[in-house]
Amino acid sequence: MRWATLGRGRLYFLLLTLPAVLYVFAWRIAPAFYTVWLSFTQYNIIYDPGPQWNHLENYRRLLQDGGLGEALRLSVVFAISATAIELLIGLGAAAFFDSDPPGRNLLLGIFLLPMIMAPVVVGTVWSALFDPTVGPVMYLFERVGVPEFQWLSKPLTAFMGLVVADAWEWTPLTTLLLFAAMQAIPREQYEAARADGASSFDIFRRVILPQVAGMLVVAGGLRLMDAFLELDKVFVMTGGGPGTSTQFVSYYVYKQAFQAYELGYASTVITGLLALLTVVFAFYLRRYSRMVDSAGA
Amino acid sequence: MRIVAARGRRRAPLSHIVGTALVLGWTLPAFLYLVVLSVKPEGLIAVRSALVFWPTFERYRELVITHLGLPIWNSLLTSTVGALLTLALASLAAVTFSFLDFRGKAALFLLMLLPRMFPPVTTLIPIQLGMKTLGLIDTRTGLILLFAAFQIPLAIWVMRTALAEVPRELVESAALDGASLPVIVTRIVLPLAGPGLLASFILAFIFNWNEFLFPLILTSFNAKTGSVAITSFSGGYKQLPWGPLAVLGVVMTMPVILFVLVFRAALVRGFTAGAVKG
Repeated sequence: MRWATLGRGRLYFLLLTLPAVLYVFAWRIAPAFYTVWLSFTQYNIIYDPGPQWNHLENYRRLLQDGGLGEALRLSVVFAISATAIELLIGLGAAAFFDSDPPGRNLLLGIFLLPMIMAPVVVGTVWSALFDPTVGPVMYLFERVGVPEFQWLSKPLTAFMGLVVADAWEWTPLTTLLLFAAMQAIPREQYEAARADGASSFDIFRRVILPQVAGMLVVAGGLRLMDAFLELDKVFVMTGGGPGTSTQFVSYYVYKQAFQAYELGYASTVITGLLALLTVVFAFYLRRYSRMVDSAGA
Repeated sequence: MRIVAARGRRRAPLSHIVGTALVLGWTLPAFLYLVVLSVKPEGLIAVRSALVFWPTFERYRELVITHLGLPIWNSLLTSTVGALLTLALASLAAVTFSFLDFRGKAALFLLMLLPRMFPPVTTLIPIQLGMKTLGLIDTRTGLILLFAAFQIPLAIWVMRTALAEVPRELVESAALDGASLPVIVTRIVLPLAGPGLLASFILAFIFNWNEFLFPLILTSFNAKTGSVAITSFSGGYKQLPWGPLAVLGVVMTMPVILFVLVFRAALVRGFTAGAVKG
């Protein structure tokens, strides 16, 4: 539409847009650049009066930081295992919803609850379930003769607990996305396959799966990114412990910035993570771009 | 739709029953356990086999009358006002983006969506420093100012999709009849884009309500939100007060359940848009 149609000058419309643009710039874009700048400075909020430029000292430290390396490894393992489970269950659940069960919409609404709940509440729910004094999980284990132990206080089980909680929270999202992709498949294809004598499993493998592959890549990418940066549930359920066995990168950043007060170095870690994510996702998208295009996303 | 229904009928009903049971069994027990804990009498709370008991609502009453109510009130106030501000800023911008062509529009639009590409943690430190400088640490005003900014990109995205469905001819003919721009926007465009506005508001509200990291570092007592209050129970090796904790969790989930039940369709659309374009 032309400017003149609405009888106002260009300035008027820019004035409408400007508040939002400036606001987003001030709160979202400018701070991100400031973080990059801080990453080149020494700035401990307790000891330093202000950020002091210290060349690439922080980045040198970054490369030798064993704690960060361990956090990265944990985050990667966490992101991959949680995403794998979410995609697998999501695929099954989406196929179920796609088969149009009675009361589908209400069921879908209930199913979405965990992902719309506050993440800290999800953490609380699973803390309660795993808790040995009030939770049913350990109770059931004791019933079958497993001696009592603190589920979230052992490195392996604490890690698994976080994966389970994440799967519970985010399988709805993968389900929703895959369900949308399945709904887009023309129904005639099923009819044709059935007429050729294909079983339900054949249809799933040969008709549905190839056509939702693009969405699997998209949903997987989204979940990998988010799970990699998981913080809220770690905070509630394990606090990064026992020891540092569930200290993922976001928690590591949090500790550097708000417990050690190393704002400069924490910014370096954030900038490094951002660079890493950008590179990984550039590769991810390039590797799978054709499949993503087919998902129409 | 008819084809879908026909296909559904052909499937064995058994698979639907099993599927429904699995879906409900996956989602509900975990959350319902928290509900059970929240009404379990104090004396029974550590008796894990006791699932049938006379419920106590004493803790919910306490929440209203004690200091625990403050975080919920803070959450409610900051999320609502923040979402309204988001809506005001985003809808004005979305109208421009949707109805007008101007040079640099695509670039400006991309700039608005840019923040969704990098994770919020990238802005954590500068925002805390900025809030300190402005003296807004631990104030509701600070949180509201921040919340207003967070969901603008998503709200613009959702609003633009909704505005695309407003008939252009209607707007043009109103303009030719001499209606001024504010009249066109408030009388024609926004009412027609009502569902989009509602969806944007609900999404912004829920994301604000669920936000944890920023309230955690920006508030301590006066402006502490529900999310932060939940985590302030944990930590240390003492026995957690599971009763109040469960109550807080249930109360934090109530508005969300309400929204899901009432606005399911809008939510599904919004979350899918938010996720795919995120």
